[in-house]
Amino acid sequence: MRGYLVFLKKELFEYTKTYKLLIMVLVFVIFGITNPLVAKLTPVILKSFMTDGIIITLPEPTAYDAWMQFFKNATQMGIIVMVILFSGVLSSELSKGTLINLLTKGLSRKSVILSKYTCMVLVWTVSIALCFGLTYGYTVYLFPKEDTPNLLFSVSCLWLFGLFLLAVLLFSAALVKSSYGCLFITVIVMAACIIMNIIPSIHRYNPISLATDNMGLLVGSIEASSLYDAILVSSLFSMIFVSLSAMIFQKKQL
Amino acid sequence: MDWSMMKEYLPFLVPLVIAQLALAVTALIHVLRHPHYRFGNKVMWALMVMFIQFVGPILYFTIGRGEE
Repeated sequence: MRGYLVFLKKELFEYTKTYKLLIMVLVFVIFGITNPLVAKLTPVILKSFMTDGIIITLPEPTAYDAWMQFFKNATQMGIIVMVILFSGVLSSELSKGTLINLLTKGLSRKSVILSKYTCMVLVWTVSIALCFGLTYGYTVYLFPKEDTPNLLFSVSCLWLFGLFLLAVLLFSAALVKSSYGCLFITVIVMAACIIMNIIPSIHRYNPISLATDNMGLLVGSIEASSLYDAILVSSLFSMIFVSLSAMIFQKKQL
Repeated sequence: MDWSMMKEYLPFLVPLVIAQLALAVTALIHVLRHPHYRFGNKVMWALMVMFIQFVGPILYFTIGRGEE
């Protein structure tokens, strides 16, 4: 337990020193601010392109447009930046050999894996919370008196999907040596999830529904209860992947 | 965009500009202080982080930065 806490502190310090924390937070802050702004300004920008011959009729932007931007940015750019930043989670220390000293001094390998996962989850949670808070604040400011149901549930689904993705990332980092291999396996798992999503009966249990059904939840075309299975599957698989990576790392030749 | 409209969006623009500048400046300081890159040279990265907003600094920190 002590090893876990000490290593967690070291991980957090490393993230600040390597600018990973700064980048994650700033990227999500910038998204948080631009989401409502882009939603509000899109009609204005399009109108400036309009010449005499063309008439484009645009509906008034609503809070839904702002949240559409939020879910689009967070699930695409946000998650890509996160995966690339964290792809060296194990490989950088293994290739430099700095981890071996700590392990020979009695730090258990299990606590290395657990604290690395906790740290990634912490950074992801802070980033998505900041992004959500900023988008929420500015959306209320720009589009007052507009109600968006299921908002918190929808964002929590996205957060849980991030947890699942980080577990996959950690698992692939334990499996292969290089950070590119880790990226490659994570991308393959995600691609498999996306392809499987085509089959309607799997969609219900597929973790990726947590990142694709968000707008449907807000608009009301998707029932919240239809995602419960996916939530269960994602939490289960996150735990399985983290324990598997601990087991693999335990036996790994360093 | 006229001034009255600018004023309306000032609560957005100010934090946005600060965040972008913070990103660019930290990246620029890092580029100048650590002259080892995975590819490219100092001038290229300095120009990239200064003039390609948002994407430049992120590219530098994720793929351009060399090992210490």
